[in-house]
Amino acid sequence: MAICAAVALACNEGLHPTTCPGICGTVTYQGSLPDSLRDSTAAVLIVAFSTFPQTPADLLRFQPPVPAFVDTGGPPRRYVLQVPNGTYEWVLAVWEKKSTTPLGAGNADSLLREIGFYRDGRDTTAQGTGRVHVGTGGGGAAAIDFVIDFTRMHRICHYFPPCPP
Amino acid sequence: MRRLLLSALLATTPAAIVAAQGTAVLSGTVRDTLGQPLRGTVRVVGSALARVADERGRYRLDVPPGRLIVRIGHIGYRSVEDTLTLSAGDSVERHYRLAGVAVELQPTIVTAAKRSQFLDQSTTSVALVSDTDLAHRAVETVDEAVNRSPGVLFLNGQVNIRGSSGFVEGLGSRVLLLVDGVPANQGDRGGIDWDMVPLADVARVEVVKGAGSSLYGSAALGGVVNVITREIPLGFHARLRAAGGAYADPPFDVWRFRDHTGALGSLDATASYARGPVRGSLTLGGRHSDGYREQDRSDQWEMSGKAEWLPRPATRVTTSGAWTSHQYQVFPTWCVAASLPGARPCDTRGQAFQPFLIDSSGAGSYTRSNKGYFTATLDRTVSTRFSWQARGSWLRTHFTDVNPDDWAVSNRFGAEWRGVGRNASGRVVTAGVEAARGDVTSDIFGEHTQHQLGAYGEVEQLLGRARLTAGTRIDYLDADGSDATGVLSPRVGAVFPSHVGTWRASAGRGFRAPTLAERHVNTRAFGFEVIPNPGLHPETAWSFEVGNTASLASWGRLDAALFWTEARQLLEPTFVLVVDSVAKDTVQKIQIQNVSRARLRGLDASLAVAPLPALTATIAYLFLDARDLADDSLLAFRPKHLLTLSADYRWRTLSVGGDFRYTSRIERIELEPVFGGDPRVSAKVLDVRAGWQRGSLSARLLVANALNYIYNLVPRTLEPVRTASVVLTWTY
Repeated sequence: MAICAAVALACNEGLHPTTCPGICGTVTYQGSLPDSLRDSTAAVLIVAFSTFPQTPADLLRFQPPVPAFVDTGGPPRRYVLQVPNGTYEWVLAVWEKKSTTPLGAGNADSLLREIGFYRDGRDTTAQGTGRVHVGTGGGGAAAIDFVIDFTRMHRICHYFPPCPP
Repeated sequence: MRRLLLSALLATTPAAIVAAQGTAVLSGTVRDTLGQPLRGTVRVVGSALARVADERGRYRLDVPPGRLIVRIGHIGYRSVEDTLTLSAGDSVERHYRLAGVAVELQPTIVTAAKRSQFLDQSTTSVALVSDTDLAHRAVETVDEAVNRSPGVLFLNGQVNIRGSSGFVEGLGSRVLLLVDGVPANQGDRGGIDWDMVPLADVARVEVVKGAGSSLYGSAALGGVVNVITREIPLGFHARLRAAGGAYADPPFDVWRFRDHTGALGSLDATASYARGPVRGSLTLGGRHSDGYREQDRSDQWEMSGKAEWLPRPATRVTTSGAWTSHQYQVFPTWCVAASLPGARPCDTRGQAFQPFLIDSSGAGSYTRSNKGYFTATLDRTVSTRFSWQARGSWLRTHFTDVNPDDWAVSNRFGAEWRGVGRNASGRVVTAGVEAARGDVTSDIFGEHTQHQLGAYGEVEQLLGRARLTAGTRIDYLDADGSDATGVLSPRVGAVFPSHVGTWRASAGRGFRAPTLAERHVNTRAFGFEVIPNPGLHPETAWSFEVGNTASLASWGRLDAALFWTEARQLLEPTFVLVVDSVAKDTVQKIQIQNVSRARLRGLDASLAVAPLPALTATIAYLFLDARDLADDSLLAFRPKHLLTLSADYRWRTLSVGGDFRYTSRIERIELEPVFGGDPRVSAKVLDVRAGWQRGSLSARLLVANALNYIYNLVPRTLEPVRTASVVLTWTY
């Protein structure tokens, strides 16, 4: 009888195919990484912010703690961000420069560039308008697609002006 | 000098007299009540004389003349005692029938006190895996056999006794493996090669729970697993074991990774011969597995041998050894859409993860692992009051990894002398000295040596109905000839039989010396450099236990223990900021450090019942409260609940049975920022089995993970899927 109960317990459990456990989509590359950046590139990664950063220090409070790393070019690439349930105001791709010093708020402007972000199809005018909801309807947010364009890299100071010379 | 010679002469006189008087021969068979042969143990009470019956239940024992009490036992059966009076030259035949019980009331164990004793005389909890269990379960490896024991859980090959080890990628085990009482943890990494001993050679396994360092020294921090090999029966015997099986396909089409069914198979052959004082056995075997996931193929060849010489009834010289060559593909981690830095993308087919596919950065990884051991032992029963054993051992491991390319060769040499003395008032003294030397030559561990010298003693005194035990061991450890460290490991315990069962209590200190790998590893992991730390100290723990074993009429046995372990200076991989000489800046690196304090406490209980003569059932439950005291959080890789249900039914030559194992969801893992978002589920695994035995032939069917439950216990590493196998055994 105990074995039968165990069988009943174990039915329909275990791991199942999961298409999206958080924020998922495709990044498409507009062109390729310029040769001038090839040696200085540390990584290209995708992160999400629950609220749009208000200060440069907020830039280091992204989700997930270990971001998704993607290629620097090639065919469209699927990504998955395993983030907690909630709303995310900014999902973006970041280019990171090689450095011997740890990344911090003081050097973020010199080490990081925004190279593409998700925009809501109904409002493509500004950053922070591509809101993504995770888990509220049961499940992840799929089809959060955007373009990485290495020719349109934006410094941090682009969002927190003025930019130093 | 003359006094010394006289003393030596007096000391050897009783043995000389016994030899001069000649011996008697006791022979016969051991069977169950249905007439099936049992490999029961026939033991002369009060001495080390014992013999295990062969596959046909036959035994023969050379015994000294006089009045003898013989106890015949087998795990799962009620022991019987027989009193005989024999004269020199007598040849007496006795046939014994044992009745099955839920759990044998007085099984004999040899590990908990480093000497022979009855199970209910042990001050610590002990779990047993008998050869009947091994045969019924039709498992292929020793770890599969031990994995269903109460309170024991394997995490990707790493054994946990009451949550002792957690999961540290094989770097250092907090459980000591013994093969016939000889330490067999790797000399460099301190881990356990479970494929070292062919399963065909294993007679039974004893699992001692809690700190065992007072007798065994380093590594016995969380417990001891003693693999006891088969005795060699008289005459010529042979055994052929062939197994074949198949792995189930993934339960979802989107997870399929090959267009054929994965297979596994093995063949083992054992031959033994014993006549008079000389006995020998040889086992050869090979096994192949396609694996149950991508890049998971495995091929293994093994041989083992044992030779015994019994020049006198009370003297035994044993040499044994084994060599295993294992080539296996390495499944690194499963394929996920979110890559780690430096990882090459893998095709997830639109899924968040693909548990049967590898992360492509690990493509082509495989390991060639050769390992072996050789031991020589001299056992001498000087009298009914005193016996001693001397042994020497050599363990060698050699692994070569491809992608990443690493290699290491290590040796572990050991020697021990142990004596056991008893007096008429019920006092038993066990004392000994032990020395070990480990060395490694490796591209990631360097070239290093480590020495350990220990002396131990334990006294058991009968006081009324109570047995009181006290003992200690002192170890001196050094690495590369410097920084000698002394470690004291005391233990006290008591056993008290009462009308509500037998109570036991113990308190003991355990330790584990840092392994050569932990001190000197220099490699990369998860994109970070791992740097050595030669100044590591041993990790230590105090273990406390109170337990009770009670027989429930003739149909059941209940065993329950409350345990509490306080661990200090646990060794763990830690992120450190160091100045990099090349970058001339501070960078993050990983280093093994003495960091954690932990508390593991809980309840370990089991109930074995036999409501019908042919039906046995067991329920075992472990509740574990494991906390990391350094940051007041849950200890990683320790499930809170572990439940095991087993049942077996026999009808004439047929048997059916099953095991169910529930492991609650592991709530905390290491490297939470990296793997924390991965799915984790509780494990619910059902194994079913059926068997048929007639004469020298037996056939067993095992369907492991019959429900094809898909789960993982450590990050991104799939546990085995449903595996159906048939094992055919022929004995002569």
